[in-house]
Amino acid sequence: MKKDKNSASRRAFLKGAAVGAGAGAVAAFVPTASAQSGDTAQGASELRPADTQHGAFFNLEQAAAVAAFAERLMPGAPDKPGATDADVLNYIDLALAGAYADQQHFYRRGLVALDAYCRSSHDAPFASLDSSQQDAVITALEAGTAEGFEWPTAQAFFQTVRTHTMEGMFADPVYGGNKNFAGWRLVGFPGAQFTYTPAEVRSTEPFSRAPIIGLQSQATRRG
Amino acid sequence: MATERTDVVIVGAGAAGGIIAAELAKAGMQVIALERGPRLKTSDFAGQDELRFFQRQDTRPDIKRQPVTWRRNTNASATPLGTLAYGNQAGGGTVHYGAVSWRMHEDDFRARSQTIERYGERAIPEDSSIADWPLSYADLEPFYDRAEYDLGVSGKAGNLQGTLVGGGNVFEAPRRREYPLPPLLVEQPGIAFDEATRELGYHPFSTPRAILSEPYQGRPGCTYCGFCQGFGCHMGAKSSILVTKLPEADETGNFKLVTGAMTYHVDTDDSGRATGVSYYLPDGSDNNVEADLVILAPFIYDNTRLLLLSRTAQFPDGLANSSGHVGKHVMAHMMARLLVTFDDRHMNVYMGPSAQKHTIDDFNADNFDHSDVGFIRGSQISIGTENLQGGPISASTITPPPGTPRWGAAYRDFIADAYTRHASMVAQTENLPYADQTIDLDPDVKDAWGLPAPRMTYDWRRPDEVARVEYMLQKMEEIGWAMGASQVWRQPLSPGRPGAHHEGGTRMGSDPANSVVNRYGQTWDIPNLFVVGSSTFPTMSGFNPTLTIQALAYMTADAIVNRYRNNPGPLA
Repeated sequence: MKKDKNSASRRAFLKGAAVGAGAGAVAAFVPTASAQSGDTAQGASELRPADTQHGAFFNLEQAAAVAAFAERLMPGAPDKPGATDADVLNYIDLALAGAYADQQHFYRRGLVALDAYCRSSHDAPFASLDSSQQDAVITALEAGTAEGFEWPTAQAFFQTVRTHTMEGMFADPVYGGNKNFAGWRLVGFPGAQFTYTPAEVRSTEPFSRAPIIGLQSQATRRG
Repeated sequence: MATERTDVVIVGAGAAGGIIAAELAKAGMQVIALERGPRLKTSDFAGQDELRFFQRQDTRPDIKRQPVTWRRNTNASATPLGTLAYGNQAGGGTVHYGAVSWRMHEDDFRARSQTIERYGERAIPEDSSIADWPLSYADLEPFYDRAEYDLGVSGKAGNLQGTLVGGGNVFEAPRRREYPLPPLLVEQPGIAFDEATRELGYHPFSTPRAILSEPYQGRPGCTYCGFCQGFGCHMGAKSSILVTKLPEADETGNFKLVTGAMTYHVDTDDSGRATGVSYYLPDGSDNNVEADLVILAPFIYDNTRLLLLSRTAQFPDGLANSSGHVGKHVMAHMMARLLVTFDDRHMNVYMGPSAQKHTIDDFNADNFDHSDVGFIRGSQISIGTENLQGGPISASTITPPPGTPRWGAAYRDFIADAYTRHASMVAQTENLPYADQTIDLDPDVKDAWGLPAPRMTYDWRRPDEVARVEYMLQKMEEIGWAMGASQVWRQPLSPGRPGAHHEGGTRMGSDPANSVVNRYGQTWDIPNLFVVGSSTFPTMSGFNPTLTIQALAYMTADAIVNRYRNNPGPLA
C-alpha cells in the first residue's frame, strides 16, 4: 500500500510540474524522486540491467523499465540480437538528454503511469514482471485499454517507445544503440556502403562482398 | 533595418527560384534571392545517416518553428502536421527529393476537356473544380527538354517525335530527342516488377530521374549507395538545384543569396505595384529589398500565406486575389501502398536510388478506359521502398501482414526475414482539385516569427478519390501475385490527411475571374508580381511535380528576359 501511495504522490507531483515552468520542474523532479524512492533503493539496484549503464537522463528505476520494455518489443534470442544486445536503453537515454530533450516530460509521465498501472494490475513494477505479464501490459498499452494514462495516452506512449526502440536497433552506432551492429546484423543491412555494383543491384542473393560499415569507420577512412 | 535595391527579388531558392535566379542573372539582371534555410554543400551530406536525414528530417522544416496546421473540414479544429516534406535550404526540396522527373501527358494539361470529350460532363464529380491548363504540352515541351539537358535527367524515351520506341514509357507525350543520359540500372525489385507487368500486358520502364547514370557536366555518376530520398547526395550525382543552378548563378556576378531570411511581407505602393519584400534575419533584424520585379517561389503554403499577409486597403482580400481564388483548389497525391515479400529470393531494396525505381503508366491520366471504373484520371504505379527510402528504420514503420504483431518475437522474426526480401509498391494517385480544399491563415497557431501558420482544410476521402485508390490497390495486388510474392498486403490509408506533393493555392488560368496567375505565373492583378511553383498547377496529374515546376520556371525566365524586361506589363 505504501508503494501505491508513493506512486500516487509522484503522479500528483508530476501533475503539478506539468502546469509549472518546464525547465524548473525538470530540475526539481530528480532529487524529489530520489528521495521518494529511497525506500526502494535496494529494489532499484536489483532491477538494474546487468549490462547497461544509464546516465544521461533516466534514473535507475526508469532505466530498468525502459530496458525491459524495449527487450519485450525486440526480444533477443540465439543469433537474433534484441534490444538489450543493441543497447537500445543507451540510445534512448542519450536521445532524451539531447536531440529529444523536448520529450523528457512525455517519458517521465508515461513511465509514472506505466509504473502505477503495473503495480495496480500486477503488484510490481514493470521490470519485475515475468515476460508474459510484461507482454500483457504492453498489449494493453497498444490497445489503449491500460488504465491511468492521461497524457501521454497509453497508445501514444507505446508508439513512442516502439519508435525509439526501432531507432535504437537500427540507427548508426554513433547514436549509442545498434551496438556492434546488432540491429543491422539481425536484418541483414550492410550499413553505409559507398557503392553497389551492377551485379549486386540485380542479385537475388544477400549482399556479402564487404563488412558492415558505420559512420565511425567511414570517418576514419576519410581522415 | 537594412534596405537594398535590385532588379529582381526572388523568395525561395529551390526548384523554381534557383532556375529563375540563374537565368535572369545570366541575362544581366541583378538578382537577390531570399532563402529561409541555410546553404549547404555536398560535403555536408557525407555520412550516410538514416536517423539524421530520414527519421529526424534534417533537411526539412522544423515543425515547431514552421508549423503547418491541418483540419478535415471547417467544423474541425486544426492541429500541426507531424512532418513536412518540403525542403528547407537553398536548393529546396531538390536537395533531398527522390529526383523522379516526369513530363506530364498531353491530356494532363487538358484534363477537363479530355474527360468531357471522352466520357461526358457527368463523369466529372459535381464538386470538383477540375480545369484545363492555360497552356498545352506542346507549349511546354521545349522547356521540358531544356530542363532535362540543363540539369541532367536519366531515362529512356518512349515516344520520339510521335514514333513509339522500345524501352521507354509508351504513354509519354512526344519528345524531341532522347534523354541526355541513359536510364539508371534496374535493380532486383525492378526486374521482378518488369517481368510480372509484361506478363500481364502492361508496359514497364526505368523511372526517369534527375540522378546521373553517367558522369555529366563535371559531376560523377550515381554509385547506387541507396541513401537517396530524404538525403542530400554525398557525391553530387543528384541533379539538385544546389549543385546545378546556384553555382551557375554565382558565376554571373549578378546574384546574391541571403540565407536565414524569413520573408513575411510583399510590399506594394499606392498605384498597386509591388515594390519589394520585407524579411527577418536570424538576429531578429527587420529588412527590406526594393525591386522592380518580385517573384515568389517558396513551397506552396507560403505563396498563399504571403499574399494573404500582404493585404492592403487596395487589396483587402490579399494581394492578387481579386478572383477570390487564392488559397483554393489545393491537391495532394494520395499514396496507395502495397507490400510484397518473397521466400525464394532477396530484393535488397536498400540498394540504389530509393524512390519509384520502376514504373508502369498504363493506369495513369486517361491512358485507359474509365467508362466503367467509377472515377476519372489515374496513377502511376511503381516499385521501390516503403517511405521511398530503403533503410531499416524506414522498414520498421511497415505495418506487418495480417496476423503478425508489431512487436515481440514474431515481429522480430518478421523484420529479420522480410527486410532484405520485401519491396513496396506505390500508386501515386492523382487528386482532383476542389474549391473547398484550401490554405488560409491559422487564427490560433503562430510560427517562430509570430506569423499565423498556414492552415490546410482538406480530406481526400471523396467518392471519386476513394474509388481511384481502391482500383489501384487491386491492380497492385494483381502485380504482386504475378511477381511470385509469398505475401501481398496493403498498408493502411491515411485518415483524410493530405498525402505527398501538396499543390495548388494560386492556380493558373486563362481568365482573371477564376484564376490567380497566367501561364507565366504572372499575377493578373499586379503585373510585376509573379508566383512560380506547383501552387500554380490547376490539376496535378499522377506524376511527381518537380520537372514540370522546373519547365515552367524556364518558361517564365524566358518570358521575362525576352519580353517583359523590354516591355514590363501583362504577358498574356
